[in-house]
Amino acid sequence: MSALYVAFRVSDAEYVLPAAQVTQMESFNGATPVPGVPPWVTGLIHVRGQVIPVVDVRLRFGLPHLTPLLESRVVVVQHGTRSVGLLVDTAREVLKLAPDAFVPAPELVVRTTRGFVKAVIQAQNRLLLLIDVERIIGWEDVHGNQRQERV
Amino acid sequence: MPASFDAREFLAGFLVEAAEHLVSANQNLLAVEAMLQKGQPHPRAVRDLYRSLHTIKGLASMVGIEPIVDISHAMEAVLRAADRGGGRLAPGMVDVLLKGTRAIEEAVGALEHGRPLAPAPATLLDALALLPAQAPQAAPSSEETFTLDPALRSKLGLADKEQITQGLLAGRHVWRADFVPSPQRAAEGITITTVREAVGRIAEIVKVIPIQRQSAPGIAFALLVVTDADVMAIAQAVHADAEQVVPVVQTAPPPGPEPLGAAEVERVGTIRVEVTRLDDALDKLSALVVTRYRLERATADLAARGADVRALAFVVQENGRQLRHLRAAITRARMISVADMLQRVPLLVRGLAQQTHKQVTLDLQVGRAELDKGVADRIFPAVVHLLRNAVDHALESAAERTAAGKPEAGVLRVSAHEHGTSQLELRVTDDGRGIDRDKVATRAGRPVPHSDEALLELICLPGLSTMDTTTTTSGRGMGMDIIRRITVDQLGGELSVKSVAGAGTTFTLRVPLTVTIIDAFLFMSGNQRFAVPVASVEEIVDLEGARIASWPRPGSSTGVQTRILDRGGTAVPLLALQSVFRLPPDGAGRRAILVRRNGELIAYEVDRMLGQQEVVVRPLEDPLVRRAGLSGATDIGDGKPTLVVDLIGLGGSLLEAEA
Repeated sequence: MSALYVAFRVSDAEYVLPAAQVTQMESFNGATPVPGVPPWVTGLIHVRGQVIPVVDVRLRFGLPHLTPLLESRVVVVQHGTRSVGLLVDTAREVLKLAPDAFVPAPELVVRTTRGFVKAVIQAQNRLLLLIDVERIIGWEDVHGNQRQERV
Repeated sequence: MPASFDAREFLAGFLVEAAEHLVSANQNLLAVEAMLQKGQPHPRAVRDLYRSLHTIKGLASMVGIEPIVDISHAMEAVLRAADRGGGRLAPGMVDVLLKGTRAIEEAVGALEHGRPLAPAPATLLDALALLPAQAPQAAPSSEETFTLDPALRSKLGLADKEQITQGLLAGRHVWRADFVPSPQRAAEGITITTVREAVGRIAEIVKVIPIQRQSAPGIAFALLVVTDADVMAIAQAVHADAEQVVPVVQTAPPPGPEPLGAAEVERVGTIRVEVTRLDDALDKLSALVVTRYRLERATADLAARGADVRALAFVVQENGRQLRHLRAAITRARMISVADMLQRVPLLVRGLAQQTHKQVTLDLQVGRAELDKGVADRIFPAVVHLLRNAVDHALESAAERTAAGKPEAGVLRVSAHEHGTSQLELRVTDDGRGIDRDKVATRAGRPVPHSDEALLELICLPGLSTMDTTTTTSGRGMGMDIIRRITVDQLGGELSVKSVAGAGTTFTLRVPLTVTIIDAFLFMSGNQRFAVPVASVEEIVDLEGARIASWPRPGSSTGVQTRILDRGGTAVPLLALQSVFRLPPDGAGRRAILVRRNGELIAYEVDRMLGQQEVVVRPLEDPLVRRAGLSGATDIGDGKPTLVVDLIGLGGSLLEAEA
C-alpha cells in the first residue's frame, strides 16, 4: 500500500516524513525564544490555541543558520502526545510513495546524518531522505544539557 | 471498527461509575469500622455497601470484566448475609472487605491505563467466601426500638425489624393495619390478594401476618407497612376504619449518629464533568480575554486619533466586567472541596498503620474550603508523602511510646483550612519523636541546625532521601525535596516545619487555591517580553538611586554576577534576569522584581515594567522547553507566546547550581 508523505527541503537535500504524522503546515512569523534550551530549539509558537516548540531542522542537522525567508515553513508533527513544529526551508509537496521505494539508509549516511535519516527513496529521478522524527524532536540531549548546567 | 469504539465508550462510563461506588464503599466500610469500635452496628452503611457492590457487579458483568465480577460477587454475598443479620459486621470482616475494594480499585486502575487485567486473586476470593458464615446475627433479646404487639413481633425476622427501624429513622410512618376477610367481601372481589396489591401501591409491605381474631371467630391479616402515605389512605386500602390502623412508633433513640446523612444531602444536584471539558471552556474563555484586550487597544488607538469613543469605551468596560464574572464562574466549576481531596486519607493512614504495626489515631479537621482541581492534583501527593513519613518514621512503636510516658496510639492530625482568601493551609502534625537534628546533620554532613528554618533547609537537601531509606530508625527526609519543589517551586506556596524533640513535628503547607488565570506583571528583559504572576511578587523596586554593592565572582559556576541590594538594611541578592537567561544585554536595568523564596528575598533586575494584565497560563509541557524558572506561556493579544517566568523556582534552581 502506498502512503502519503510530506516532502520538504533543507539546504540542498529533500526529505520526507509520513503525512499521517503532520497536523498542519504554517508559514513562519517568528517564535518566542526560550532561555536555557539548546540553540536548535528556535522557540515557541501558537498553533490553534496550543503553544508548541519549534525545532530549527537546519541547526538540528548541524547546518549553518539561515534567516527564515518567505517560503520557510513550520511543519507541525504529532508524535504521541507531543506536538512539535519543524522549521524547514520550504515544504510544498505531498507525495505518494510505495513501500518498495524505501531502502535502508547506508551506514555512512546514517553516521554522517547522526541517525536523523532512516531510509532513502529513489522516486521519479529524485533522491529523498526519510527522516527519523522521533530523533529530531528527541530531548535526551536536552536533558543532558540541563544536567550539565546544574552541576 | 464501530463495535469496539462503543465498547470503549461503555468502558469509560463503567470506570467513572465504578470509581464513584468504590469511594462510597470505602467510606461506608470506614464508617462501619468506626461504629464497631464503639460497639455499635451501622446497618445503614452495610445496606449502602451492599447496594454499591451489587451495582459494581452488575456494571462489570455488562462490560464483561470477570475479575471484578468475581470479587464483587463474593463481597456482595458477605454483605447480603450481614444485611440479613441486622447490618452487623465482625471487626475482622472489614479488613477483608477493604482488601476487596482495593483489588477492584486496582483492576479499575489497570483498565484505565490499558494494562492487562489479572484474574481475581484466589486468596482474596477464598477469604471472602468464608465471611458470610461469620456475619454476626443481632441478638434476639436485643433492645427493641419500636412498639408492637409481642405476638406479632415474634413473627418478625431480623431483616423485617431492621426495615421497620430504618423506616422510623428515616422519618416515615410505620402502620399496622388489619384486614378482615369475609364471604361478603370476597363476593365483592375484596380478598387479601387485592388488599396486598392496593397497599403495595402506596406503601412498602414489611410483612403480612395471619392472626386469630379475638372478638369473632375466623382469621384476619395484620399488615405491617412502611410508608409516606397518611392513615386515611392506608385505612381505605385495607377497607378498615382509620381508628383500626395503629401506628408503630419508636421507643428508643436511634442507634448512634448518622454519619452519612449530611454528606448525602450535599451531593444532591451534582454532576461529574471531566476536567478536560472545563479546561476546554477555559481555553475558549482565554481566547475571549485576548480579543477583549485587542478591542481595548483598538479603542485606545481610535481615541488617540481624536475619535469620540465614549460609547465604545463603555461597552468595552462592560464586556470586561462580564468576562471577569464568566471567568470566576468557570474557575468555581473547577474547584473541588478539600474534603473530597482528602477523602482517601483515613484509608491511607489505616493502611500505613497496619504495615508498620503501629497504632495511629487520625484526627482529620477539614474546613469548607475549595481549591482548583489542578492544585489538588499536585498538592495531594505531597500530603501523602508527609503522612507516610509521619507513620513510618516519626511515630514510635507502642512500646517506645509507653516507655516515653505517651499514650500507646500515636496521634496524626491533618487539618486543611483557608488562609486568607486565596490560600489553603494544610497542616500535618504528629506527636511522635520529633526530628533528630544531630542525626540529620551528621547524615547531611552539615552543621547542626538551630532553627526550624535551618532544619527545613537540611531535610530538603535532595541527597538526603537516599541515605534515609537505608536507616529508617529515626528522622525523616524521604521526599522532602520533592514536597518543597511541589509546594514552593511549582505552586508558589510556602512550606515550614516545627519540630520539638520527643513531642512531635508539624509541617505547614500554604498553597494558592487557584492557578489557572492569574494577574501578571508584564516586563521587558534582554529585549524580550515576559510575564510574572503578581501573586509571586513581593515588591517592585526602582533601582535608580538604590544602594547596590557588587563585586566580580570568578568562582561562580552559573556565570551570573550577584550583587547585593540594600533594602532598608536587609541585604537582598540582586541578579540581572537578562544574564540569568543569557539574553543579549539590554538597556541599563531600571527596576528590580523582588520575590520571596522560603522567607528569603531575591531581587531580579529587569529593563522596564510594562503594566499588569490578566493572563491564562498554559503550562510548558513539551520536554524540549520544560525548564526551571519558566512556568508557562501566555498570549497577551499579539498572537505570539509570552513566557511566564517563575522567579521563585528560578531562585531555587540557581541556588542548587551554585551549591
